[in-house]
Amino acid sequence: MAAPVLMASDVSKRFGPVLALRGVDFHVEPGEVHALLGINGAGKSTFIKILSGIIQKDGGRITVAGAEVTFRTPEDAIRAGIATVQQHPELVPDMSGLDNIFLGRESASRGLFSRIDQRGLERRAEALLARFPVALDLWQEVGRMSAVEREAVAILQAIAGEHTRVLILDEPTSTLTEVEREDLFALMGLLKAQGIAIIYITHQLEEVFAIADSFSVFRGGTCVARMTVAEAKAGDVSLANLMLGEAIGDIFPPRAETPPGAAVLEVEDFCLEGDFRGISLTARKGEILGIFGLVGSGCDEFAKAVFGVTPPDRGTLRLHGQPVSLRSPRQALDAGVFLVPGDRRTEGLVLSRPALFNVPLANLGRAAAGRWGLKRRRMQGDARELTGQVALHPPSLTTPASGFSGGNQQKIVLAKGLYSQADVYIFVEPTVGVDIGARAKIYALMRQLSREAAVIVISSDCDEVHGVADRTLALHKGRQIEPAVGTFSRDALLMAGIMGEVTQ
Amino acid sequence: MSGLQDMARQSARGLGFLALVALVGGALALAEPRFLSAASLNGIARHMAANGLAALGLTFVVIVRKFDLSISGVAAFTAMSMGAVIAAGAPLWLAVAAGIAIGAVIGLISGTAISRFGLPDIVTTIAVGSICAGLAFLYTGGRSIFQNFFQVGITDLNDARLLGLGVSLWILLAVYAVAWFVMHRTRTGMAFYATGENQVAAHFSGIATRRYIALAYVMCAICTVLAVLLILAESGNAETNKGANLMMPAYAGVFLGAAILGGTSVLATLGGILLITMLLDGFSLMGVPYYYSDGVISLILLAGVLAFSDTARGYLAGLVAVRALRRARSGGKA
Amino acid sequence: MDRRHSKGRRLARLTTNLWLVAALVLMTAAIASQKPQLLDPGNVVAVLKSFSIMVMMVLGLTWVIAAGKIDVSFMQVAALSNMLCAWGLSQGWGWWGAIGAGLCAGLAVGLLNGWLVAVMRLPALIVTISTAGLCASLAAALGKGTVIRIAAPGPLASLLEPQFGGAVPLIVLPVLALAGAAWFVQERLTMGRYIYAMAQNEAAIRSVGVPVVGLTLLLFVFSGLCASLAGVILAENLASGQPMIGGPYLINGLTVVLLGGMMVHVGKPNILGTLTATLFIGVLFSGAALLGLPDYQRQIIQGALLLSGLVVATLAARHHGERRKGG
Repeated sequence: MAAPVLMASDVSKRFGPVLALRGVDFHVEPGEVHALLGINGAGKSTFIKILSGIIQKDGGRITVAGAEVTFRTPEDAIRAGIATVQQHPELVPDMSGLDNIFLGRESASRGLFSRIDQRGLERRAEALLARFPVALDLWQEVGRMSAVEREAVAILQAIAGEHTRVLILDEPTSTLTEVEREDLFALMGLLKAQGIAIIYITHQLEEVFAIADSFSVFRGGTCVARMTVAEAKAGDVSLANLMLGEAIGDIFPPRAETPPGAAVLEVEDFCLEGDFRGISLTARKGEILGIFGLVGSGCDEFAKAVFGVTPPDRGTLRLHGQPVSLRSPRQALDAGVFLVPGDRRTEGLVLSRPALFNVPLANLGRAAAGRWGLKRRRMQGDARELTGQVALHPPSLTTPASGFSGGNQQKIVLAKGLYSQADVYIFVEPTVGVDIGARAKIYALMRQLSREAAVIVISSDCDEVHGVADRTLALHKGRQIEPAVGTFSRDALLMAGIMGEVTQ
Repeated sequence: MSGLQDMARQSARGLGFLALVALVGGALALAEPRFLSAASLNGIARHMAANGLAALGLTFVVIVRKFDLSISGVAAFTAMSMGAVIAAGAPLWLAVAAGIAIGAVIGLISGTAISRFGLPDIVTTIAVGSICAGLAFLYTGGRSIFQNFFQVGITDLNDARLLGLGVSLWILLAVYAVAWFVMHRTRTGMAFYATGENQVAAHFSGIATRRYIALAYVMCAICTVLAVLLILAESGNAETNKGANLMMPAYAGVFLGAAILGGTSVLATLGGILLITMLLDGFSLMGVPYYYSDGVISLILLAGVLAFSDTARGYLAGLVAVRALRRARSGGKA
Repeated sequence: MDRRHSKGRRLARLTTNLWLVAALVLMTAAIASQKPQLLDPGNVVAVLKSFSIMVMMVLGLTWVIAAGKIDVSFMQVAALSNMLCAWGLSQGWGWWGAIGAGLCAGLAVGLLNGWLVAVMRLPALIVTISTAGLCASLAAALGKGTVIRIAAPGPLASLLEPQFGGAVPLIVLPVLALAGAAWFVQERLTMGRYIYAMAQNEAAIRSVGVPVVGLTLLLFVFSGLCASLAGVILAENLASGQPMIGGPYLINGLTVVLLGGMMVHVGKPNILGTLTATLFIGVLFSGAALLGLPDYQRQIIQGALLLSGLVVATLAARHHGERRKGG
């Protein structure tokens, strides 16, 4: 075993009355890809912020290559050789990849009045590319790059300046397609070969076995386990159990007991140039229809087409057998279609406002008394009841939505959906950024909803779709893929979504 | 629990505001005893009516997170338009209707350009305001219009009284009451606020956000027309510089009110405009020259937004924390 | 960046870069064919003089807007400096003292704007609206609401005299030199790159350690200084301090900056574009006056020009965005 390049012992951090980290012991070795796992609130993002110098630890020791360090600013961390790539890296879209990589370091002397040596920058970029041969046109504007290319630019930016020993990647794959993910893993391999240790934060447990050499699990503000992937495989360790601290069994609710009822939503031959084509499906009351598709498969666009955000070029939509044309979210909501959007922070919630404001927002007609007034008391009562039903925690109607965790924000969106009393509920990526405890509750609510309405779950998480849905299909490059006979098995669904093949 | 805290915080801010009004009023009354005379109070009510209407219009625009810098230009053009209609011998209601119609069209143009075609709000409204200011010269080449003003009865809006209060104040109170009800007690108001705070989420909630943004500009222009109407009633003629002094108090009223009362709202604007008008009238009563008025308002506006800004509050909290820490340390030593 | 541009692209770039220059030449020719007086030395001197003053006024504003901020106080800063200069002369400070005082006023207001926006994080529009009101008020107060006359010509007088055969006022040269220096800063130094990056993603340059607060402060100070210099030159040019001189410059300034942003770096205000647009508007107005258009019609034309410029820029940006989505 090599000497650890980064070692933390007994690190603690307190926010007011809350002990966010207590006695964390952690280490990574050179050239090691180390996954950092834990549900939201386990303390991993606090720990990462301490490692990258954004916040300061209250107690404990951190050593880099054997020497003790104290980070007061992000620059301190960078100087010690710890580079961090944030979950959503900040880049300038109109500038080339090259100019982004060397942003702030255009010349030897820093500051506002240094001469930019463009030739020198190009030479440095070529040297960088020689060290890490990634297939990337650095002369292209970042705004025209794909997600993985932007991620690569961000990584090169992080490691270009100083001698980087440790690279921290915060959920880099959350916006990548399956193919792009492979490209990123290849780049990580290059970095690893140079002896750089990579700390890799992810919610995707299967990635741990695909790319990591070892992993640490955080729970309740401390590191509860550290082992190599080989050990975990040999011991048949359940990562989910480690993260939750108890055997969780199945987080998915039981499947529908009764056969599905009447068709509520019928989509026929939906097409949208460049996004999807020829999609036909039926959603029935009493069942959950699952659609598995990777980023870029047209899933999100399809959901938005049904919801009237970007109406399709052609195709027909029937609700309860009646053809309807939904050209805006307003019309969709009036017709009884509700979308739980994939990006809840920008599309789902007014974050500055509490649940009391957000819950009735999609169905203000229900809260209205006559043409003008509002039944405020009843609105409040309804909001209290619905947030209770989704088990919002903390159960506050007046705390701004921004003050809740990802899972509880999603619960507010769900309460908003319940308030709108729709006949069709479409969920897009319902559990991104939601910890495993809240996930189980959200799945249970979907099942409950399906008794009264048609429910469609659209996700790039194959296990989620397979686990929660009664019937599944896949989208691949805008094309719909259904099983030849019967239903998809988990592996067949995965193959259909990734390769576009029916393997039955 | 936190609902109660919220209410407590709200009422604390309200009480703080009333105390501020009493303090400012008391100080002005001490400095100039005539401040509390009937004539002075009447003047405050009148000026508050005009300023308050313009500020209310701006409130709608600020709630949807935009700016409108065309207020002065719109005021000039609609003042001259109404003057021209009156001078042509038409009845007052027709002049007002014409003014409101022209204002609404201008507001619709700016609003549509900004919401539908995505033009930047600040520069667009500056351009529209400039065009309007130019158009104000169309009727007379810039000369004052006063024909028929007396006969048509527009001055009654300034002079007549109802239950002991000036008509203009009643107009202000009526418009504010309607605006308060719409913005804070109806779904329309919720839609306005949702549009301002997260346009995408509002759109996904079935709210016609572009329509609300355009509507905000229309409301702003119509309120400006009403404010100008009161100014015409007070002066008895129409000139191209009427309403040039509406913009600063409107901005000061909206942002000062929001700073003190914790957010942009109809009542906050009313409070802000009350403070601003008191100060302006008090100073002019004390003989402070007219050209200081913009400076005074600007200073108050700056001081207000600065004192209540998050950054300042952060500094203040930091200061308090440092003091507490020092006290704790020195206590520990002793 | 440059080495990958083929010849065809270079040509396309040249046309997008210089269309406003072509429009300027065409317009000048068109007006001159109707009113040859446009090219009389006397008229050329007048146009170039107001060109120089206008460029001074908006040089700093160009970068403020390029950085995604706004400054609507520049014209009142000029008015304040203008009045302070005239008032200082009437107090017997002498020309250099008066000029110094004028520039100090610009520095002070720029610092105030910059501090409030960069450090206290207040919205730039509210801040600069307020400081504009404050400056206008102070300017008027200095002259008790009226104009202050200046008796003796000062050291800048010779700059405003026509030279070179009577067609070029000397002031053009230092102004162009300053603009050239600014162009160099914008194109070749890190600051120029950070200004444009700031407009697009402030967090990006903050995270790589660019002193964003310092840069913002610097931009507002530079804007204040440029405007106050214009105010001082105006004092010399008009031989008086005019408290109400600021007003019309707001719309003028924004028009030239935004119109100029439609050439060279399309959609981004820049020094060369501002220079061209200023000359364009100057010739247009001079021609309009010669053709007998009253003041208010010119104001309407200018508003319409600004509005149509905005439409073109917005459409161009949208087109750019769509192409990006497609590719």
